[in-house]
Amino acid sequence: MIFFKDIYLLFRRHLRKALRAPVWLLMGLMQPVLYLILYMPLLKSMGATALLPTGEIVRVFVPGMLVIMAMGGLFAGFSFIDEIRTGIIARWLVTPTSRVGVILSLICNQLLTLFFQACILLVIALFLGLHVSLIGIALTLVLILMIGITMSSLSYAISLSVKDEGILASITNTFYLPVMLLSGIMLPISFAPRWIKIAAHFNPFYYAVEASRSLFAGDFGSHIVLFGFGVIFVFSLVALSLAVRALNKMAV
Amino acid sequence: MNEAILKTTKFCKTFSSGRGKKIKLVEAVKGVDLEVKQGEIFGFLGPNGAGKSTTLNMLTTLLAPTDGKAVVAGFDLLTQPEKVREQIGYVSQAGGADGFSSAFENLVLQARLYGISATDAVSKANELIGRFQMKEFALREANTYSGGQKRRLELALGIVHRPSLVFLDEPTTGLDPQSRAYFWEEILRLKKEGMTVFLTTHYLEEADHLCDRVAIIDHGTIVVQGTPQELKREIGSESIIVDFAMDKELEQAKLLFESMQNIKKIFAQENKLYLFVQDGGGMIAEVLRVLDKEKIPVSTIGLSRPSLDDVFLQKTGRSLREDKN
Ligand SMILES: Nc1ncnc2c1ncn2[C@@H]1O[C@H](COP(=O)(O)OP(=O)(O)OP(=O)(O)O)[C@@H](O)[C@H]1O
Ligand SMILES: [Mg+2]
Repeated sequence: MIFFKDIYLLFRRHLRKALRAPVWLLMGLMQPVLYLILYMPLLKSMGATALLPTGEIVRVFVPGMLVIMAMGGLFAGFSFIDEIRTGIIARWLVTPTSRVGVILSLICNQLLTLFFQACILLVIALFLGLHVSLIGIALTLVLILMIGITMSSLSYAISLSVKDEGILASITNTFYLPVMLLSGIMLPISFAPRWIKIAAHFNPFYYAVEASRSLFAGDFGSHIVLFGFGVIFVFSLVALSLAVRALNKMAV
Repeated sequence: MNEAILKTTKFCKTFSSGRGKKIKLVEAVKGVDLEVKQGEIFGFLGPNGAGKSTTLNMLTTLLAPTDGKAVVAGFDLLTQPEKVREQIGYVSQAGGADGFSSAFENLVLQARLYGISATDAVSKANELIGRFQMKEFALREANTYSGGQKRRLELALGIVHRPSLVFLDEPTTGLDPQSRAYFWEEILRLKKEGMTVFLTTHYLEEADHLCDRVAIIDHGTIVVQGTPQELKREIGSESIIVDFAMDKELEQAKLLFESMQNIKKIFAQENKLYLFVQDGGGMIAEVLRVLDKEKIPVSTIGLSRPSLDDVFLQKTGRSLREDKN
């Protein structure tokens, strides 16, 4: 109980901070919304291919955008490093507060932001002609939030060990683009040449994108859905434990 | 004599950075033995990079020691860190105030994290706002505070839960003399209220004025430990400081004084010569006479009462004052 109370107390503080400078909310939202508005029509007007009828394009494109958004959690470390520097994190760690709680409160805040952004994106997508069941959306949101946990935990773990925005930026930039491209976010990997397909199978986010496409298509029981949830679940636990470990041995 | 509230044995911290062959080791703290007594103000005095913050971070459970043991507020640091956390307060060198919250919000959250109920937390916050004269800015975001105002909030944050032992890492660095005097008063008040205070500083006057006992740390080792009076008595002397214009003259004079019986110890730093003597008033004339006889010109000459700086100088061969400039 005390554990949840501490998470709640710290979470309220993060929320207060986020609301005082609401630019953060927009930053993660801009990129996917621009893709949706300025790029997706391009795909549409290229006309239907045999594999991807025009009506399907929105349904295939939007899950990818949601995953991109969730991967933005990778940038959570930047404001975290700033907070480490002000000594506020150390101050919390010296109180009897649970250390897992400190990390979880930060992650909860990331997830809330992500949830709002995802909802806004979905509303825009509905206007652009998305047809999808409520269960499909709900399950996809769960998956997206799990990716959010994975990415922000990883970002916190890296931040705690490097404590430098420059190094964090070069690490995230090195990983972000290849991981994104190899998950078939823009177009399904099934269009890709064989070697890219093979490479994609080593990328956990490929399964996440495929799983959410299946969910959007109403294919709830398919293997890829189960597999996607499984992979991301395992990854989120691993990432979370890395972050907690890094926090425990952080040298302030 | 009072009981010990903190005791370290062979406390060590070695940082390693880099990997593989390029690994670099920094021995920040090397076998520190400390004892802090209940109810006292204990000063940790040392130049930049001496290992003060590293020691404090270990004592406050933020950093695992590489070696050694410590008992803090009755609990073993390594096996019962949670218990230690309940007992202590810490104001780190960085401070740790939340810039995006007001002093009031900062204090309420801090109290809540120590398990104080919501209503008590609010009254606690108001009480501290009054005590540290923060009314005027208590509802503004802390990002807008001046250095002194922020430091006041941070001290308040460190003691919301009335810890039995509070660690203050350089509480007055960067403050003007007036604010420093204010902090000194507040720190003495903590002691009066029964708290044990462990503070670090590189201001000798601060250690001298505030602390019941001090430990001088340099390059990760404790050089000397005791009450300021004891330490100064140990030097047992005043020092005559002679300033020369040229190195050659200094060397000449040093040779001369080394053979003089009444001079207990000699140190040279920059172009000053420190002569430790028993009777400064009497010796100053003698020193001038000798220098005059050998025709060694002197820029200035002065007498200084024994200070902690002299203790530092005698133990390490360097002056803490010079280090800072
Ligand atoms: N995380 C770290 N990795 C490597 N070296 C470190 C680390 N933290 C501290 N050091 C080194 O350990 C030594 C002691 O540092 P510390 O911060 O304890 O000094 P200090 O006495 O608090 O100095 P100051 O008065 O400047 O605050 C320094 O040489 C510092 O460079
Ligand atoms: Mg320090």
